[in-house]
Amino acid sequence: MEKIVQIQDVTKVYEEGKNRVVAVDSVSLEVKKGEVLLVMGPSGSGKTTLLSMIGCILHPTSGDVKVDGTSVAAMKERELPDIRKRYFGFVFQSFNLFPSLTAAENVEVVLRLKGWDRARLKKDSVGLLGRVGLERRAGFYPRDLSGGEKQRVAFARAMAGDPPIILADEPTANLDSKTGKEVLGLLKEFSQTAGKAVVIISHDPKAEAMAHRTVFLEDGRLKQ
Amino acid sequence: MYWLAVKTFFHERSRLFTTLVGIIFSTLLTITQIAMYLGVMGNASTIIRHTDGDVWVTSRNIQNFDFANPFPEDRINRVRALAEVDWAQRLIISWGFLKLENGGQEQVQIVGYNPDSGVGAPWSMVSGAASDVKGGRYMIIDKTSEQRLGTLAIGQVSELSSLRFKLVGISEGIKSFTTAPIIFMSYNQARLFYPQGQTTFIIAKLKDASKAEEVSRILRDTMKDNDVYTSAGFVYKTVMYWTVQTGMGMGFFLTAILGLMIGAAIVGQTIYANTMEHIQEFGTLKAMGARNLDLYKIIFTQAAMSASIGYVVGTAIVFLTKNGFEKAGVTLYLSVPLFAVVFVVMLLTCFASAYISIRKVRSLDPVMVFRG
Ligand SMILES: Nc1ncnc2c1ncn2[C@@H]1O[C@H](COP(=O)(O)OP(=O)(O)O)[C@@H](O)[C@H]1O
Ligand SMILES: [Mg+2]
Repeated sequence: MEKIVQIQDVTKVYEEGKNRVVAVDSVSLEVKKGEVLLVMGPSGSGKTTLLSMIGCILHPTSGDVKVDGTSVAAMKERELPDIRKRYFGFVFQSFNLFPSLTAAENVEVVLRLKGWDRARLKKDSVGLLGRVGLERRAGFYPRDLSGGEKQRVAFARAMAGDPPIILADEPTANLDSKTGKEVLGLLKEFSQTAGKAVVIISHDPKAEAMAHRTVFLEDGRLKQ
Repeated sequence: MYWLAVKTFFHERSRLFTTLVGIIFSTLLTITQIAMYLGVMGNASTIIRHTDGDVWVTSRNIQNFDFANPFPEDRINRVRALAEVDWAQRLIISWGFLKLENGGQEQVQIVGYNPDSGVGAPWSMVSGAASDVKGGRYMIIDKTSEQRLGTLAIGQVSELSSLRFKLVGISEGIKSFTTAPIIFMSYNQARLFYPQGQTTFIIAKLKDASKAEEVSRILRDTMKDNDVYTSAGFVYKTVMYWTVQTGMGMGFFLTAILGLMIGAAIVGQTIYANTMEHIQEFGTLKAMGARNLDLYKIIFTQAAMSASIGYVVGTAIVFLTKNGFEKAGVTLYLSVPLFAVVFVVMLLTCFASAYISIRKVRSLDPVMVFRG
C-alpha cells in the first residue's frame, strides 16, 4: 500500500520554565492509504502530541513529518493551515461541533473553508450526512442530537472535502459501548470504501479488533 | 467565513442585546452632542452665513456676531469708495423688550436691514415677505419664537420697548445663539433702538468674491477703528469664540467622547466574552485549516454588524426624538456628513474594541482542540 504520511525520528519536547517534558521521543511511523492505524498507550504517553504532529497542528522539536511526500519540518507556520485543509479530517473526543449551526451547516463550514463550489454546498453537506445515516437530522442543532449522532456529524464533517487522512483522538471516549462500536464501524467502512488512511487513538478494545495495525506508546516511545 | 460570522452572530441573544444597547446609547449620545454643537454654532453664525456679502466691517475687537459695538454709519462711504466693491449695506443688531399678551415681557434681538436691498433680511418665510417691513413700524418674527412669545398672528400689534410694531411676516428656523427671539425690521426703524448715526455692521459685496481677503486687508489699513473680516473669517471668529473661549465646545466634545468610550467598553467587553465563549470553536476552525485571517474576518464581521445595527437603531431614535428636542428649543443640526462620520467612528470604535479578541485568537494554539 502507498504511504501517505511518514514520521521520521520525531521528537517533541515541551519546555515550561525549568520543566522539560519529552512528550514524544524519537518516533518513526508510516501511515498507508486505506489502512486503519490504532495508537494505544496509557494516559500521558504522548498519543495526542503524536497525532497533532501527524496532523501538522504541532511542529516537532526535531525529526520530520512528510505528508504525501512533502516535508513539513521545512515549512513555515503560516503554510500549515493549507496542508491541514488539504490532507486532514479531524474527529475530536468532545465532538467540537458548532452549537449555533445545524448538522448540515456544521459540515458546510468545512466545505466552505475548503473553497467548495457554492452551488453544491447544501447538497454535498446533506449527502455527507447521508453517508453517516443522518440525512434526516440535517436541520437539527447539536443540542438536539445524541452523543452518537454528534460524533457521526463530526465524521461527516471530517470527510467533507474528501481529505485523504482522517485523524481521530479518542472518538468513542464520550460514547456508550454500543454507540462507540457503530462509530468505529463507520470509520473502518470509510477507510475501505474511500481508500482513506485513518489514525485512531483509543483505549477501546473494540478499536483494536477493527484496526489493521496497532502501535503502543509509552513515555513517548514506540513499543512494537 | 462571513457566512459563519452571520450564522453565529444571532445565536447568543442576550449578549447581542447588551452589545446593541451599548452601541445605540453611544450613537445617540455622540450624534445628539455633535448635532447640538453644530446647531448652536449654526445659530451663532446663521445671519452671517445667510447674508450675501463677502466682507464684514465691525467694531474694533469684536468677539462674535451677537455682541458687537456701534460705530459711525457713514463709514460706509469709505467701503463704497473702493473700486472692488459692488455694493455695501448696513445692518443693525440691537436689543429690546417685547411686551407679551399675558403682560410679561421678553428680551428680543433686533435685526434692522435695508428692505430694498434685502441684505440681512430673513431668508425663509412662512408668511409675508422680507420686503414687507418697508415704510413703517412693521416687524417679522420667527416661528420658533412662538414658544417664548405665544402664537403669532399676522396683523397683531405688539409693544417693543414702548413702540408699537405690527407683525407683517413670520420667518422660519432663524434662531439666535442667545436664544432670544429675533425680530426683523427695516434699518430705519431699528435706528430707534440704537445710538444715533451708528451701525453694527457694514456688509460689502465684491465684484470678484475671490478678492475678499485682499479687500479686507486694504480696508483694515484704511479703517483703523474697525475690524474687517471676510464672511468666512467672521463665521470662524464667532464659532471659535463660543467653542474655545467659552469652553462650550469642550463640554460637547467631552460628552461625545464619553459616549464613544462607554460604547467601546461595552462592545469590547461583549465581543471579548463572546470570543472566549467560542474559543473552542475558533480552535476547531484553526485545526481544520482556517487561517488567522479567516478568524479575524469572523470577529470583524460581527463587530461591524453590531456597529451597523446599533447605529441604525440609534439614528432612528435621533430622528424620532428630533421634534421633541426642537420643541424644547434645542436645534439639532443633522446632515449626511455628520451621519457618515459618526458611522465611521462607530465602526472604528467597534473594530478597536475587537482588537483584544483578535489578539486572543491569533495566539490561540489549535492543539487545544484535542485537550477537551
Ligand atoms: N502544552 C504542553 N505543555 C507542557 N506539557 C505538555 C503539553 N501538552 C502535553 N504535555 C505533556 O506531554 C505529555 C504527553 O501528553 P499527551 O500527548 O497529551 O498524552 P496522551 O494524549 O497520551 O494522554 C504529558 O506528560 C503531558 O503532560
Ligand atoms: Mg490525549
